[in-house]
Amino acid sequence: MDSIVITNLRKYYGPVKAVDGITFTVKQGEVFGMLGPNGAGKTTTVETIVGLTKRDSGAIQVLGLDPVRDPIGVKSRIGVQLQTAAMFPRLTVKETVQLYANFYPRSMGIMDAIALVDLTDKAKVQTLKLSGGQLQRLSVALALIGDNDIIFLDEPTTGLDPQARRSLWDVIRRMREKGKTVFMTTHYMDEAERLCDRVAVIDHGKVIALDSPQELIRRHFREKAIEFRQPRLTNDQKLGKLPGVQRVQVEEETVILYSSEVGQTIPALLKYAEETNSPVDDLIIRTATLEDVFLELTGRRLRE
Amino acid sequence: MKGFWILVSANAKDIIRDRMSIFWFVAFPLLFILLFGAIFSQDQDSAKFSVGLVIEDKGPAGTAIQQAFRSVPVFELHQGSRDKELKALKNGKRLIVVVVPGNQQPGIPGAAKPLEIPIYYDPGKDTTTQILITSVKEILTEIERRIAGTPRLLVVKPVRTQVSTLKTIDYLLPGILAMALMQLGLFGALNFVSLRERKIIRRLGATPLPRSMMLWSEILVRLAMAMVQTILIITLGYYAFGVTVTGNIFLVMAMVMLGAVVFVSLGYLLINFTKTEESAQGLIQLVQFPMMFLSGIFFPLEMMPSFLKPVVNLLPLTYLGDLLRHVMVGLPTAYGFWTDTAVLAGWFVVTLGLAVRFFRWD
Repeated sequence: MDSIVITNLRKYYGPVKAVDGITFTVKQGEVFGMLGPNGAGKTTTVETIVGLTKRDSGAIQVLGLDPVRDPIGVKSRIGVQLQTAAMFPRLTVKETVQLYANFYPRSMGIMDAIALVDLTDKAKVQTLKLSGGQLQRLSVALALIGDNDIIFLDEPTTGLDPQARRSLWDVIRRMREKGKTVFMTTHYMDEAERLCDRVAVIDHGKVIALDSPQELIRRHFREKAIEFRQPRLTNDQKLGKLPGVQRVQVEEETVILYSSEVGQTIPALLKYAEETNSPVDDLIIRTATLEDVFLELTGRRLRE
Repeated sequence: MKGFWILVSANAKDIIRDRMSIFWFVAFPLLFILLFGAIFSQDQDSAKFSVGLVIEDKGPAGTAIQQAFRSVPVFELHQGSRDKELKALKNGKRLIVVVVPGNQQPGIPGAAKPLEIPIYYDPGKDTTTQILITSVKEILTEIERRIAGTPRLLVVKPVRTQVSTLKTIDYLLPGILAMALMQLGLFGALNFVSLRERKIIRRLGATPLPRSMMLWSEILVRLAMAMVQTILIITLGYYAFGVTVTGNIFLVMAMVMLGAVVFVSLGYLLINFTKTEESAQGLIQLVQFPMMFLSGIFFPLEMMPSFLKPVVNLLPLTYLGDLLRHVMVGLPTAYGFWTDTAVLAGWFVVTLGLAVRFFRWD
């Protein structure tokens, strides 16, 4: 059963192709992630699906309904968290959640929703007195309060401290356990990797890869990554000929060697560095991540 | 529908908890009334003019003039030496000083040279002093007539026209109410700009609530505030300055609502031409400020210079003030009850239509 079906969706703003013909399907009960750098078209995609922005062309089905033809039907079945956390400034946290609870056909407990995002001790505080992170969490609570089948979270952890991020990840996992479908966007590859059942990698308004994070990494990298800084070696063709090295990626002053035999590559690399009198800095050996997948697909890093 | 009423109460809470908005919508008009009430609280009939009288003539003429001056009720008479009174005039404590010089042979009928009575005045207060000088001449003529024994041919008898006397504050209070309704409608729209700028309107657009509900809830709160404002202003006017609403209170409320919807829709029209709260505020002030002074709120319409009349005749506040003065305290209208009502209704229909046409949600 599919919760969301997107077919060839397009949205242009003048010459800017914000969403440029994307197609994907979100299954019921999965956490679906949209991973891409800022400006890739994630927010436009979300706002088009939830019925806030009109599409130029393509088809959208949310639980079988079209958000343009039946906006109220779609909106009463989904919970939404938007990137700009906006509330009535002089309502308290509790009053705000209460207000939103009344918009939906059913709702979870007001204080339960507040507790889920760790704002219980702020329940009686006016929202204008909340910090950015607290507002962000309140905004997530507003997406959950309607107890809807699909929950949209647009960069829910941006601006949160590491502890709040982890606690929000737990909330999202709990939603999956309850059988909810979660559609989230992020530009944190670790978040997508740990949280999402499937990830659509998006760049310049196009989906450039779509699979589970593990499958994406496995398909593109069976190797480990050896990363170091040395400006003089960024254009050196000989690095690719070192034992075990499958591929070389250069990102400004950083060189990444993808090696299937790290044990052989490292001594050879250090020897070569010494011979050419270009010692390597910040040497790291790690497994490949979605960041590497993105780099491989676009030639750029996710966060610049 | 449950969601709508919760939204109304959320809106009301959000506005009432904003101390600045409460100041502008409640305290500001009340302060205006207290201020103007204090300035005009004395009935202008009882206002007295400070007149200095210097009698240097010890003869019968001096006594006659002194008695005549004392019998004028609007004179606050001060008698003293020439030096003392002229000093008081220079200090602004007298409007005019009348000097009856001594050591002359005055007032003999048929004498070649009449007695000269100098009147000193401050040219800075021209209008009032000219009136006073005329009065003094009148008094002196009367004394002259009595001495000469000339018979009186014409007698002036002043007659008051209004049955119940109206004070300046009676004129001002309905105008201040009209001004308060204008402020509420125009500046109230800023709240929507702020919600729009902070994307709260957009966020509400992602809920199943139709977004027009947002606007309706605001309008409802605004009309309720207009009603509260009216009651506060009428109550304060009554208890502090004895302004009695003589008209039908339901008619007054109906006209208050008519005025409120005119300015609410004008406010919602204006905010569509700006993006930020600051620029919207500037635009609204640009409309509100001239209107406040050109609509006969603070002084009668007849006092407007004629070249401003075409502007005055366009402003909705002119008609609302005129209408409220009529239905609240029974002053005659300048334009006629039905003209006032029709012009306001016309303003409402046009601004509403334009507001709907140009409305911007984002």
